[in-house]
Amino acid sequence: MTHCTVRDTTLESPTEGRVDERQILLVGNPNVGKSVLFRNLTQRYVTVSNYPGTTVEVVRARASFDGHTTSVIDTPGLNDLVPRSEDARVTIDILQENPDATVVQVADAKNLQRALLLTLQLVELRRPMLLVLNMLDELDERGGRIDSTRLAEILGIPVVETVAPQDRGTAELISALAEARPSTLNEGPHRTARTNGSGRARARPVRPLPVVPPEAHLDLYEANRLRLERAKEILVETYSISPPARPSFKVRLGFWAMHPVKGLFFLAAVLLAVFWFVGLFGAGSLVDVLEVGGFSQRLNPLAIQATDKVLPFPHEHARELIVQPIALPLSPAHEVRIGILEKTAITPDYTMPPDAALSPTQGVLRFLHDFLVGKYGAITMALSYAFAIVLPIVTTFFLVFSMLEDSGYFPRLAIMLNRSFRRIGLNGKAVLPMILGLGCATMATMTTRILETRKERLVTTMLLALAVPCSAQLGVLLAMMATLSPVGAVAWLGLVAGILLAVGWLSARVFGGETSEFILEIPPIRRPQLSNVFVKTLSRLEWYLKEVIPIFVVGTAVLFLLDKLRLLDWISRAGEPLIAGWLGLPAEMSNAFLVGFMRRDFGAVYVLDAVQASQPLLTPLQIFVAMVTITLFMPCVATFLMIAREHSTKAALRMSAFIFPFAFLVGGLVYRLGRWLPL
Amino acid sequence: MAPPLGAAELPSTATPGALVTCPMCGYEFDRDDTLCGHGCPLGSLCNLVRCSNCGYEFPDAPRRRSWLRKLLSRSKRPERLPPDVRAVSELAPGEAARVVCLGERNSSRSGTLSVFGLVAGAEVTLIQRRPACVVRIGETELALDPEIAEDLLVRPTD
Repeated sequence: MTHCTVRDTTLESPTEGRVDERQILLVGNPNVGKSVLFRNLTQRYVTVSNYPGTTVEVVRARASFDGHTTSVIDTPGLNDLVPRSEDARVTIDILQENPDATVVQVADAKNLQRALLLTLQLVELRRPMLLVLNMLDELDERGGRIDSTRLAEILGIPVVETVAPQDRGTAELISALAEARPSTLNEGPHRTARTNGSGRARARPVRPLPVVPPEAHLDLYEANRLRLERAKEILVETYSISPPARPSFKVRLGFWAMHPVKGLFFLAAVLLAVFWFVGLFGAGSLVDVLEVGGFSQRLNPLAIQATDKVLPFPHEHARELIVQPIALPLSPAHEVRIGILEKTAITPDYTMPPDAALSPTQGVLRFLHDFLVGKYGAITMALSYAFAIVLPIVTTFFLVFSMLEDSGYFPRLAIMLNRSFRRIGLNGKAVLPMILGLGCATMATMTTRILETRKERLVTTMLLALAVPCSAQLGVLLAMMATLSPVGAVAWLGLVAGILLAVGWLSARVFGGETSEFILEIPPIRRPQLSNVFVKTLSRLEWYLKEVIPIFVVGTAVLFLLDKLRLLDWISRAGEPLIAGWLGLPAEMSNAFLVGFMRRDFGAVYVLDAVQASQPLLTPLQIFVAMVTITLFMPCVATFLMIAREHSTKAALRMSAFIFPFAFLVGGLVYRLGRWLPL
Repeated sequence: MAPPLGAAELPSTATPGALVTCPMCGYEFDRDDTLCGHGCPLGSLCNLVRCSNCGYEFPDAPRRRSWLRKLLSRSKRPERLPPDVRAVSELAPGEAARVVCLGERNSSRSGTLSVFGLVAGAEVTLIQRRPACVVRIGETELALDPEIAEDLLVRPTD
């Protein structure tokens, strides 16, 4: 998930900080706004969302407060100091590695009891700390109040009030950092009950983190129960809340989204909205405007003319009248015509005079010319695919995805799908990485850290690599789906879901091991903040451009070289038994699968290009077969590397050894059985 | 007096070590002595028992209750509970209750639940039962597997 998180950590390694540098660790329950606060403190963007487990890695950045260089560390959320999952372990490790760091505990002000449960454990470490009461606006909304002065007195540490998304209270937090001190609330849960926090801070040795073996759960339960009792005593003196008699619209919306019946309608509405916005509007109208109006009619001719000037050799480009109606879609079959793009432009195809004999220099010039603006040109193919087809699709997808993410809908979807996921040895928690996989499978593979057992992590990783299409590919698939009948769309969805369940069921048996119980905290429904949605979309697009464009250019260059070396025809012929014989596709589609090995969305774009050509190259059944096969490919090289990193190279190799043959197997079966479908 | 005929002939009692009666020949034998039980590739997937006397194959007692039965029959709670104590999943949506105990002594589960404030004595409100049970503890909304919710015993408050 957190794209930026990955990059930020590489900027500064954990050991890089200077010895005299102050360090502050942002620690707290999941989904309390640590990352937003981190952003306010350091001005560095990290992904923030409305569900527990957005941050799964430690993020560091330097900031200067009152002339002191301070290293600020954002950590994954945790509920107590027990490593129940990989992301909680990350936080516990960082607490252990930095015994001198100031601990800034970020708390959801509404949910002070839960925060205090963690405070009482952090207090036991005897480290300089302070408490941040975040989300005060939401506390106000619920009719709550906190006496933070009294709370500071009891805990013996500074207490600061903030509303992080509005950047309120950040200055106060920075000035309070100097006053951070070990709490005077002495000792653990057994003795705290009778102390009041009026004592002064005494110099006590910093305690190492108690190493709690996860098996000692019963003691943990008892300890937590006592801490909660102590927290309740503190709450009585400091906290009051009087929830409104009638739940607000947002609260009711949250209930509907996870209701057994209304929740299904909700889900259908969400899916339809995503299909319209991404599949019809993004992959349809926007792609038409950019691909035809932008590239075919304007940028490509310009690039061709410029290249011809710089790299001259005798040839003549073809001219063509390019007509493209532009419409706003209402449904796959209905649209409102807005205008028409009509222009005569030169195309990459060219003819050379029959008697032309190229000198060696002209031969080189022609080679470079073709590399840039030829049939497999870096500009005419790679950049036009990346900017005109995939960019509008991922932009629309990330916009709607970020909105859903910040609304708090995804954990509710996890509830809806828990039962189905239980059948494949997972539970509803695995829904979160899977949905994030619709954004980017590579990042989602890392998010599997929020799952508790090895089996769950492996099965989820496998399914992400096999059957969850990522944003770029999903958009392209939606666009292809729009050319089929609704039966085709439903059949694709049913097939992919069926494969997901079947392979999940099988791999749960192959990998063996336990499934954890489904216990998931549900965040409140929030209105997505448009500024965060835009910033998040932009940061993801930046990631997209940096990661995808080089691969597209390299992939196109490979095709170009193979074409020049006359190997492309040879590969087409070699792949014919598989592509034409088994999958029933035109042999030219070999190229799509060839580049699909690098990135499956690249392969999908290639197919889409064939689908949207003026003389369609594929029949509906062929489109369907190509869609299904490409969907099941391993997402991209980056995903492979991430699986190797998170699990092992062996696991990554084994998964690919299963995935590619399986994709072709299913594709061939679909070709044979799909004839009876009214596609 | 002989036991009623039908009851004796039921090919049931799948509990380990218990005897199985062949419905064909009436032979009583141990489930482990079934002829096909050893080295069969189907192994644990097979639900058939072969009589070690006559070789007749018949289905053992169903190991799981079918979904239909689950739907039709209310779950039975064999323990003797005080009349006002019930599982949290038996509350009506919106009903508030105080936690009596977290169920079996599944220590890992109770440890996890406790960090969400779900401990004996905590006040909970049921939000929904299906598809997963959702309870509210203070300001925390928590989704739970139905099995956990069945084990979570509460006493409704007024």
